[in-house]
Formats: sequence, C-alpha cells, structure tokens
Amino acid sequence: MTALALIRNLTVTYRRDGSEVAALRSVSLDIEAGERLAIIGESGSGKSTLALAIAGLLPGSAKIGGRIDWFLSSLGAKAPPSVLPDISPSRGEIGSFAVGSSPATLVIGEGGNKGAISPLEGEMSGRTEGGLIECRSQKSASKQSHIPRLGRDIGFVFQDPSASLDPVMTIGKQIAEVARTHLGLTWSQSYARAKGLLERVRLPDPDSALRAFPHQLSGGQKQRVAIAAAIAAGPKLLIADEATSALDTIVQAEIVALIRRLVTEDGMTLLFISHDIALAAELAERIAVFRHGQLVELGMTAQIVGAPAQPYTRALLDAHIGLDTRPLLNRARLRA
Amino acid sequence: MTLLAVSNLTKRYRRGNKTIAAVDDVSFHIDPGETLALAGPSGSGKSTIARLALRLIEPDDGRIDFEGGDFLALSGAALRARRARLQMVFQDPLAAFNPRATVARVLDDPLRIHGIASRGERPRRIAALLERVGLTADLAPRAIHEISGGQRQRVAIARAIATKPSLIVLDEAVSALDVSVRGEILELLLDLQRQEKIAYLFISHDLGVIRSVAHRVILLDAGRIAENGDARTVIDAPQSAIGKALVAAAPRLNRTGP
Repeated sequence: MTALALIRNLTVTYRRDGSEVAALRSVSLDIEAGERLAIIGESGSGKSTLALAIAGLLPGSAKIGGRIDWFLSSLGAKAPPSVLPDISPSRGEIGSFAVGSSPATLVIGEGGNKGAISPLEGEMSGRTEGGLIECRSQKSASKQSHIPRLGRDIGFVFQDPSASLDPVMTIGKQIAEVARTHLGLTWSQSYARAKGLLERVRLPDPDSALRAFPHQLSGGQKQRVAIAAAIAAGPKLLIADEATSALDTIVQAEIVALIRRLVTEDGMTLLFISHDIALAAELAERIAVFRHGQLVELGMTAQIVGAPAQPYTRALLDAHIGLDTRPLLNRARLRA
Repeated sequence: MTLLAVSNLTKRYRRGNKTIAAVDDVSFHIDPGETLALAGPSGSGKSTIARLALRLIEPDDGRIDFEGGDFLALSGAALRARRARLQMVFQDPLAAFNPRATVARVLDDPLRIHGIASRGERPRRIAALLERVGLTADLAPRAIHEISGGQRQRVAIARAIATKPSLIVLDEAVSALDVSVRGEILELLLDLQRQEKIAYLFISHDLGVIRSVAHRVILLDAGRIAENGDARTVIDAPQSAIGKALVAAAPRLNRTGP
C-alpha cells in the first residue's frame, strides 16, 4: 500500500484558563491511500483534534508541533487535469511544488507566534493556525504536488449537519459552490454536478432538493447533503467526524452504508472518527484507538476487536453493550 | 398495584395545514420497581410521551393515572406535591442545570422547594445524596460546569432521588456518556431501583442498552405502539417491521478474532 499521509510526532496544545492542555501528544500514524481507517476514543482522547489537525481546521490559539507529509500527486488524479485543475494556493507564502516521489511536507515548528497562515485553510477565511509552518519540497520531477486544501483534497463531514450547512442558502448552491471554487466550473456546470451528487447520495427528488433549504430536510437528509458537498470536488480523503452520532440507529446505518459506497466508488481514503467501536468495526479496515491524546493501539479491525493487545482496548470492548451482551439486569439479580 | 397507567394518550401538532399525531392512541402501564423502555426512530413519539407523562405538555386526548389518582386533573399545590414522586433525568445535564450553580445548590433546590429538609439539615442531606450516587461530599461547592459529564449525570440522579420519587423518566440519560462511564451509571440506576423500588420510564435509541436493563419494552413507530413485551423476547426476535429494522441497524461487534 502507498501512504496518503505520514503523521510524525504530532502534538497539539490548547490554552485553557491560562494553562496549557495537550490534546495530542506526539502522535505518529500512517494513513494508507484508499483505506478506511477508524479513529476511536472517548471524550478527551484527542480524536477530533486529530481530524481537525489533518484538515487544517485547528483554531489559531492551538500550538502545533510535529509534521504531516502528504503524498497527494503520486496517487494520480482520477479525473483528467481539465476537470481537476491543480489550483495553486492563493496565499503568497505557500507555493505549489514540483515533486516526484518526494512528498509535499509540512514542517510545523514549535515557535508558534509568527502567525503564519495555514495553507490548508482554502476558503475557510478567519481560521489560521498558530504554529509556524514551513513548506519544504524538492524539485526532482515533473509531477505536481501540493499541500492539501480543504474542500478540494479533503472533504470533511461534521456531526451536526444543521451547523455545517448555511440555513439561508439553497442546497444546490451549497454543493455547487464547492465544485465551482475548486474545479473551476461555471455555475451551470456546478449545478449540474450538484444534481448528480444529490442523486449519488440518494436524496429523493434531486431537482426540487436543489432549490430546497436545509430546514426543509430531515436530519438524515441534511447529512446526505453535507456528504454531497464534502465530495463535490472529488477529494482524495474524506474525514467523517462523528458524522452519524446525532442520527437514530436506522438512519445511522443508512449513512454508514452510503459513506462506504461513495468511498469505494471514488477510491477515496476514509478517516472515520467515532466513539462507537462497534460501528467503527463495521466500516473500517483498520482501527486506531486513542486515549488522553495518545495513540494506544493500531491494527487491523479483526485484530483490534478479536485480539486486542492493550488493556484499554479490551476495556472499551468489554464496555460495549450489544444485542448479545449478558444483561446487567440478570447480573444484578444474581448478586441480589 | 399499577404505578402509572396511560390510556389512549394522543398528542397532535399542526404543521402548516396538516395535523400530525406525534402520539396516537398510546396505552401502557408501569408497575412499582419496574423499568419500561420506549424505543423507536426519531419522530416516533418517545420523547413526546415522556413530556406528556411529566405534564411538561398537555395531551389532546387520553388519561394518565399516577399512584392511583387522575394525574391530569391535578393542579396547583396538589400537582406540585405529586410531582415530587415523578422525577426526570435528561441526556444533557448541563442543559438542564444552571451551569454557574454549584452542585450543592442544584441539590438544595428540591429539598427546599418540596420542604423535605430544614435549612440546617440540608447540608447533611446533600452530602448523603452525593454519597448515595457514588460521589463524595467535597464535590458540593464545585460549579456544575467544572465537573465531568459522568459526575454531572450522577448529580442529576441525586437531584431526581432527593424527593424520594416512585418513578423517574430517563430520557436518553446515558446516551451522551462515554462507554466506560455509561456502565457505571446503569449499575447505579439498577442499584437504586433494587434498594428504593424506583420504577423507570427508560427512553433510548439503543436497543443493546434496553435489552440490558429494561424489564419490558415498547417499540414505537410514527406515534403508535408497533410492538411491546418482555425486553429480551422482543429484541431477540422482533415481530414488527420497525422492530426488525431497528435490530438490523444495531452495530454488531464480532469478537471472535482474526
């Protein structure tokens, strides 16, 4: 397998009430191209911080150390360049680099306060990273590589679709905007693409859905729209951060099936962030278990679930209450 | 004796020109010391039933008998007195409490409002309540927003049992907790039920948890009862379409190994 990203010694520290809290401590992790990788953990484990760090969405107050090496261009775009133009980041500080086998590398310094602007921010204005970021690359071959941009290279699906969709913009425009921004399409091409995406996420009646507003849809339908927007520019990596946690069980199963299908059809890499080890195990090929900001255990799903090496992983598995778990009620009766 | 009897309960909402029955002719009962679970997809009416049973909203039709009397007929002082026997714990205690209040203040309110303990006696009662739910008395001066989610849910349970209720409505009360904490809270609820004979109306979307702690279950679909019976019998072999769909959608953990 080839790597999509190599995360090395990633450390993220937040300031809270005057003291520093480490949300991630020296995390090293490889994301393989095309894999479905689940990041699981309880609250405070750092799983969402990891997702935000990868997407370049950490707040400006966060201190970041370590590095993430990306191998985006070596994978070969699925679409021809005319459809997926390699748009150089608009910020002057960030270049676009010609590399061959060598990756585009983000070196994130500990220096902190120089206010360098994240190359990942794309159109997400107002968000900057605290760390000093230096981009390194080696000119060796003709292939173009770049630091990933949110929306184009990385699609992000959040837990609450009501919060991630604009309440006063039509569904069609919200999806078309992504395609227009990142693929350089005209509005009419972008709307045509949006309609196709609504069909792909199986929203009933895509024609009228294009003109609908988020409040006219159910929670599950809104999440389908958020997924359509996330994949509108054909990203290599899809990050789903607790994307099904606010949905009821039946809708959750439908959205998980949808994510699995889309990721397979488009050859995307999936990072599935969840507190639910059973749900993660149904979807992911590999599982990374996080606790207190550290990577506790990483392995193939069958190994993590069937033969966990770490006591904490075992404890998480034991705490799962499934449809075949011996009822607490019976155990209580036995003790009584 | 039946503790709570709900008969032909109906609640309709207007949406545009249409009237939708959120709860449609629902009848059930709960015995003392029993856990009855309500499950169903979003919009099936489970939380509306909880709010009707608590009289946070009034039904359009139907009857609720609680502790042998017509609960819907009560008002004023009689209703307040009866409400001490019927408590609630919600999913997010931070939303239910004033976040700047201290733990002591949250527990002092029910003791004072229901005249359960004198001012001088209340600090001792608060300490006893905290210990009853597995916390220590030194938590009393802490602010609600400072303590962990699991501790907050224990405080919510302590407040609920402060008035010595016979029934507690638990609306997704363990759904937002980490799995390691969830098991401890469920054990606490079962322990309180055994010791104090408290009945629970247990609302959850999680069939695994319901199968683990409930005696009986009602599966709701579009405001109506689709299926009801012994929790393990129903969940192990659902007969209704919605029951089959809910069971099929529950994630399964295959721990047999690689």
